[in-house]
Amino acid sequence: MAASETSARARVEAGAALPGLHAVGTLAPLSIEGLHKVYRDSMTLRPFAAVNGISLTLERGEIFGLLGPNGAGKTSTIKILLGLSRPTAGVVRIEGRDPRDPEARRRLGYLPENPCFYDHLTATEYLDLVGSLFGMPRDERRTRGAELLERLGLGLHASKALRTFSKGMTQRLGLAQALLNRPSLLVLDEPMSGLDPVGRAEVKRLLRDERGRGATVLLSSHVLAETEALCDRVGILASGRLVETGSVPGLLAGGVREWEIAAERIPERVAVTLRAAGHAAETVGSRWVVRVADATALQEVLRTLLAHDVTVHAVEPRRPTLEEHFMAALGRAEASR
Amino acid sequence: MIAGARRRLQAPLPFLVAGALLGGSGLLFATSWSRIGPAPGEELLYFPSGVFVKQASLGFETAAADAAWLRAIQYYGEHRLTDQKFQRIDHVMAVVTDLDPAFESAYVFGAFVLAQELRRPEEGLALLTKGRHANPDSWRLAFETGFLHYVCRHDYAAASSCFVQASRLPGHPDYVERFAAFASQRSGNRDLAVLLWKRVLATGNRYMQEVARRELARLEAPEAL
Amino acid sequence: MTRVAAIARNTLREVARERVFLVLVLFGLGLAGVSLVLAPLALGEGSKVVLDFGLAGASALSTLVVIVLGSSLLHKELDRRTIYAVMAKPIRRSEFLFGKYAGLWIGAAALLAAMTALTALLLLLSGGAFPWTVGGALLLSLAELMIVTGVVVFFSSFTTPLLTAFFTAATLLAGHFAEDLLYFGTHGASRLLAALTQGAYWLLPHLEVFNARGLVVHGVGVGQDRLLFAAAYAALYGGALLAAAAAVFERRDFK
Repeated sequence: MAASETSARARVEAGAALPGLHAVGTLAPLSIEGLHKVYRDSMTLRPFAAVNGISLTLERGEIFGLLGPNGAGKTSTIKILLGLSRPTAGVVRIEGRDPRDPEARRRLGYLPENPCFYDHLTATEYLDLVGSLFGMPRDERRTRGAELLERLGLGLHASKALRTFSKGMTQRLGLAQALLNRPSLLVLDEPMSGLDPVGRAEVKRLLRDERGRGATVLLSSHVLAETEALCDRVGILASGRLVETGSVPGLLAGGVREWEIAAERIPERVAVTLRAAGHAAETVGSRWVVRVADATALQEVLRTLLAHDVTVHAVEPRRPTLEEHFMAALGRAEASR
Repeated sequence: MIAGARRRLQAPLPFLVAGALLGGSGLLFATSWSRIGPAPGEELLYFPSGVFVKQASLGFETAAADAAWLRAIQYYGEHRLTDQKFQRIDHVMAVVTDLDPAFESAYVFGAFVLAQELRRPEEGLALLTKGRHANPDSWRLAFETGFLHYVCRHDYAAASSCFVQASRLPGHPDYVERFAAFASQRSGNRDLAVLLWKRVLATGNRYMQEVARRELARLEAPEAL
Repeated sequence: MTRVAAIARNTLREVARERVFLVLVLFGLGLAGVSLVLAPLALGEGSKVVLDFGLAGASALSTLVVIVLGSSLLHKELDRRTIYAVMAKPIRRSEFLFGKYAGLWIGAAALLAAMTALTALLLLLSGGAFPWTVGGALLLSLAELMIVTGVVVFFSSFTTPLLTAFFTAATLLAGHFAEDLLYFGTHGASRLLAALTQGAYWLLPHLEVFNARGLVVHGVGVGQDRLLFAAAYAALYGGALLAAAAAVFERRDFK
């Protein structure tokens, strides 16, 4: 995780022209400042803030995860980034351009949440349409479209009507149309939705390839385990506010919750002693697991075990998962409201 | 086993019920509507004028005129075969010609029936006059007005005038000049009348042809000579 | 291919593959069949009947296609969110709207032209002379369709399919009665009513401009002046509707 963070920063600092992309200078791929979006409830006309003051700047070549529960404002934010919705206040810039300027979307790739495409078309016809919207010449549209369909496992379904596509197939087509123009900024809303584990692994690989190509990725998700593995940085959204931003290791670094010792055959009297000292000691299958709260006590426990000729297999720090950190952050945000 | 058999027997039941009800409604309509409902074309009588229908036609006046024409023919044909009560043909043709003022056949047929069969030549004339106002360049309407003056009203001067007008209008066939000449010469009622009816036999619709045959038979009968 | 053309082509595909379109085509064929059956009953006016019903049917059906399919055109995109992926591409909202308009008009125009051609064919088959004047009526109807399509697209840019269909039908109806509306309004007692009806008169489309079926059926051709006038009127009025629709659509937030 740390290595990818370093490499992302290194790329930005190097300011090098990235393979497959135009050199765009020092403009951030995406910058959001003081974004607000207030809706009016259609029945009561009461105002409701879906986005409540978000500021964020993406770094070139990073994968950024926008995390949050349903209703946190992820999709509202994304719609503003794409010019589908107008902000009530704040400034959004894509490579320095207003998102409502069509040119801002020329190097953008977007996958909507639960995407829906024209079901009277085939996959090939749909990608051909998308290519036309980018002004791609016919041959290039056809070649690139076929290449992407193949890459995303839809090669055999290219001539089938989209109304026959399953959810997973539609999701894959969504990725294909998002990648058609070799985007420098990819915005993906729930990219793993509808995919089986194999599909999700493929998407992760694909996104890492895009990052390797120099693209910047903004993905929104509520599947935290997968995001933890993929993202260089994450932002936690709650009730329209960005409550926390940072790299995953950075967010989780503060606080090793406990230490876990995996050992073999601890004599019962030793286990009793450990429990009496306030540590958890239990069998898990054929092994023993001892949990120790702090680093000082850890040394004491290890010495005790070694003195009794207990074979210690592993000593691991237990950090909180992103999910646990996330829930805690939400709890803090809720408390401060 | 029995339950399955019963289900199979009952399965087509809703369709059979629907079919029976549909058949029943058709039978009811076939047997009773003609007795209870208005006669064909009768509904045209309920429109105060063609202008009202024209407003409702929304740009499809000529098609509406054709629909009214078809109804009018039904009205006339049905009554002709039964009670000979087609007195309101004037109103019916008024609706048709309000919808399509250029519908020459409607003026002609309407005037023909009014003058020849209902013995109301003035109303027939009024209909043709309405047509001539709407279509001042129509040789046909001028000619038919002449016909009506000659055969029904025996007003030879008026007939002559109309035939001459027709001969000066564009697109008229050759015989118009001959009729104009005959009428001017007033070369005898019978000869011109025979010529006129022969023309109707050659060019009129089947109802008009029937009347023409009848009139020719009358004119050519030995006692007429 | 330009972006507008790409959207137009997609819309045309969508229209042609809609079941409703097929049903209306079949209905048109049925209407043509009916006119053939009725022709012999028309006491010598069979050719007139075939031509009248054919032209009226072609115009009515193509208008129906525009209203039925057009009223849900934009709403479907917003409801099913197919528009999201499209508007995230470098295309302006106005381009998207113009493409939708063009595709819908082309589909309806194709139906109109085909039915008019079928009418001419039926006329020839039933022994009538080929009505060259039908060409003029067809051109006028095509121009009329430009306005009808514009009205549908305008209303669909901000309201539901049902209301779009209703408002479009109401506008077309009022457009036919525009002259009468003006007459009754200005001859009434109320000055306010007179002002309102005058305003309505100038706002409503004057659809009688495009109705030359009466002339054509009686063998009178449509003059060049009339054709040019109709084309100019359709371009201006239709253009105004599209511009208004684009302005409204530009400001919409996609939910």
